[in-house]
Amino acid sequence: MVELDLSAPLDRHRATVLPEWIDWNSHMNVGFYVVAFDKATDTLCEQFGCSWDYTRQEIGMTFVLEAHVTYDREVTQGDPLRITTQILDHDAKRLHFIHAMYHATEGYLAATNELMLMNIDYASRRSAPWPDFARERIEKLAAAHKPLPVPEQAGRIIGIKRKK
Amino acid sequence: MLDSLPYELPELVTRAPLDIHRSTVLREWVDWNGHMNLAFYVTAFDQASGAFMRNMGLGRRYVDGKLGMTFVLETHVTYDREMKGGAPMRFTTQLLDRDAKKVHLYHEMFHAAEGYLAATNEVIVMNIAYASRRSARWPAPAAARLEKLWNAHKDLPRPAKAGRVMSLHRK
Repeated sequence: MVELDLSAPLDRHRATVLPEWIDWNSHMNVGFYVVAFDKATDTLCEQFGCSWDYTRQEIGMTFVLEAHVTYDREVTQGDPLRITTQILDHDAKRLHFIHAMYHATEGYLAATNELMLMNIDYASRRSAPWPDFARERIEKLAAAHKPLPVPEQAGRIIGIKRKK
Repeated sequence: MLDSLPYELPELVTRAPLDIHRSTVLREWVDWNGHMNLAFYVTAFDQASGAFMRNMGLGRRYVDGKLGMTFVLETHVTYDREMKGGAPMRFTTQLLDRDAKKVHLYHEMFHAAEGYLAATNEVIVMNIAYASRRSARWPAPAAARLEKLWNAHKDLPRPAKAGRVMSLHRK
C-alpha cells in the first residue's frame, strides 16, 4: 500500500486535458471531466488500498452510486489540471467525497464533482463492508479532513434560480 | 438574441416525456469493472440532451453555422443498475423548468431490451453566444418551441429522483 497522505484536502492528483477529450465546442466535453475526476477517485482509493490492484486481484471493486458535477469554467486541450479531494462522510460500505478541479497554472476552479462510492464484493457484485485495511485508513483520512469547511458546491439541489 | 435561424427546423415532437433518443454502449466505454464507466453515462446522457436541443432547433447546424452553442452548467447522475458493452439504451426526457437562457432537464436511461432503469440524469443546459462564449437568450424560434414543449411537459408528475441532495443519511 502507498504511504498514507493525511494532508487535507488530498492534493496528489495531476493530469492534462487530452486531445480526444475535446468536443465540437472546442473545450473539454462534459463526459471527460468525469473521466478526469474518476482518475482522481483512483488516486483517492489508492490511499486505502482499493484501487486497480484491489480489482485486478479479484478482491473487490468500488462502484459509484451517484455523481454531481458543477462546470465552473472551460478548460481546453493541453491544459494542466490539479484535482484536490475532500472526504465529507463515510459509513461501513460507502464513502462520500468531493473533488475540485483547478487549472494547475492559472489557478482558477474549473469544476467540482461530488460522489457517493460504494464497496463491492468481487464475486457477488453486491455491496459489502470496507475491508479492515481500508476502513482503518478511511477513518484516518476522514479525521484529517473533518476540520475543513464543507465546500459550497457540496449538497446542491439542481434547479434554475430565480430572483425574488 | 437571434430573431431567426438560417436553416429548416425538424418537425417538433411534443410527446411528454420526449422519447426519441436511442443509443448503444460502446466497447470503449467499459472500464476495469467490466461495465460502462460512470463518465460515459454522462456522455450518453449528453447525447440525449443533444436530442432535446435538436428538437428545439439547436442541433449541429447551430454550432457549425457559428450561431451559438449550448453548455452544461451542472449535472447530477444516479447510477441505478450496471450496463455492459453493447447494451442498447432508450432514453426519456422531461423538461422540468426553463427560463430565457436555460433548460432544466431530467433524463432516464433504460436498457432497451430488458427494460430496467439503468440511470437518471438531471442537468442544466445554457444557451451561449458563439462569438463571446457568454450566456445569451434562446434564439426566437427556439424560445417559441421551448414554450410549446413546456406546455406539454409542465403537468407531468415530478420524478422522485429529481432534486436530490447527496447524503449518507437520507431517508
